[in-house]
Amino acid sequence: MIQRVNSLGRRRIPRSCATLVVHDGTPRTFDAEIDLSSLNFPEVASVVIEARSAGSSVVPRFECGKVGDLVMPRQQPLTALEGQNLFFALKVIDRSERVGRLLGIAENIRPESTGDQTLAGRKGILPVERRPLGQQLWRLEYGEHDVFLLVNQDVAGLSESIGSDPLMYAVVYPEVVRQILTQAIQRGGDPDADDDTWSTLWLSFGLRLHPDHINPPSMDELDAVNEWIEMVVDAFCNQHSLRDRFVQGDLLSRES
Amino acid sequence: MNTTQLKSFNSSGIEAFCKFLQSQRENAEGPTRDELLEDGSLIEETGFGIDIENRTFRTRRDAANYFHDRFRSISAEQLRRDAGLWSWLSLYYFDQVCPVADGCRRIRNDYTYVYMPNQSIYYYRHLLFIAWYVRFVTPKHNRLFLDTSLHRLDKFTTEVMKRLYLTRIPCVFEVLDRLYWDTSEDGPRKGVITPNRMVAGDLMHRFPTRIRQLEKTYDLLSLTADQLIELLGKEFSRFDRLSTATPMVV
Repeated sequence: MIQRVNSLGRRRIPRSCATLVVHDGTPRTFDAEIDLSSLNFPEVASVVIEARSAGSSVVPRFECGKVGDLVMPRQQPLTALEGQNLFFALKVIDRSERVGRLLGIAENIRPESTGDQTLAGRKGILPVERRPLGQQLWRLEYGEHDVFLLVNQDVAGLSESIGSDPLMYAVVYPEVVRQILTQAIQRGGDPDADDDTWSTLWLSFGLRLHPDHINPPSMDELDAVNEWIEMVVDAFCNQHSLRDRFVQGDLLSRES
Repeated sequence: MNTTQLKSFNSSGIEAFCKFLQSQRENAEGPTRDELLEDGSLIEETGFGIDIENRTFRTRRDAANYFHDRFRSISAEQLRRDAGLWSWLSLYYFDQVCPVADGCRRIRNDYTYVYMPNQSIYYYRHLLFIAWYVRFVTPKHNRLFLDTSLHRLDKFTTEVMKRLYLTRIPCVFEVLDRLYWDTSEDGPRKGVITPNRMVAGDLMHRFPTRIRQLEKTYDLLSLTADQLIELLGKEFSRFDRLSTATPMVV
């Protein structure tokens, strides 16, 4: 495994250092509790929280004071963020020596507690969002940290059935896996990277599924990349017995 | 000058507009522009009480300034979300976003005229919305994006506005103006948007890559333009038209 050294000292902040609660409303609002006491950051370093959701073109940012004098956000508005999946980032910033240098960061923090408008808790590696997609039933959207499966909001029940109905699952998910792995490799993702961006998570997923458990080749070796991806997709289909589930699901639907 | 009250397409109106675009591409029969604009079953009143004029926009800046002025009473968030309003406006100003040239119109993809606010890959491609939006996010340093024609989406606008990680950096538009506006030509610097060739300091390849590198270490959102240009390094700072920029304090 390649060891990566952050030569400029930016540290990963455990997500447990920030607890977020999102409240329903128009717009939604959030509260946060931040505890950096065990991390020995300079007391004068600034602390900020940023919020994101899939498809949003804005990233609201909230100042939370300094490490030594935190200001916990209360009822802060999440204007312009409409997706069900909300993600927060907590940053500690050195403004005294080298201006604007990141001392620490926690990314992809999900709210602990939410209302009906927001999904809470740990996310999978493929959150589903409903969107107006015209004549498309589904497509993928690649954000900075996450990849989303967008499903057509104008097809009743599609977002529920796409992951559970054996016919839908068997037809859609192998192609989802294929596309995401292709994008991850094209964008230079690394399964051994010390982050939880979507490309890292998905390539790690592929590495575990691959029958030989080998890292993906680089994009310079296009044939090898395609072969690696197809072996992962094949393993995925075998693991879930997709053909058998499809056939059984088709039989059931014919009988009913 | 003719005026009319600002309206908005409902979902049926947007669907009808898409069909209109398709019929235009195919030179097929179908409802006319005026019929769609006034069909009560396709539109809804916005409730803003705003009149708009049937006027000519010589540049995207003209449109940006006009919408910025007329829509002053509407919240930015509402405008950002309103697919029906911007789509209706596209049809109202259809001769300007899709002009007749050599006797025919070249109808581009639907997202050029039908605003799709929830689609991050399409929202910035709506010709009228992006005019207003650029003026909104960068009231000052916007000549790279607004001093251009209205009916075509230029590469500068595309390459910047499609990247949220660029547009959310407050100083980035000033940085882009300083690096990529050629004062000797009074226009965008040439050779910085070349799809198939990477050039040192270019906007299309190197600038986004360098920002991605820097954002891992620095809080780019709190930097001034001087500080960000210095961080970008000589590859970019050699283009800085304000070459007497104050060095970043270390």
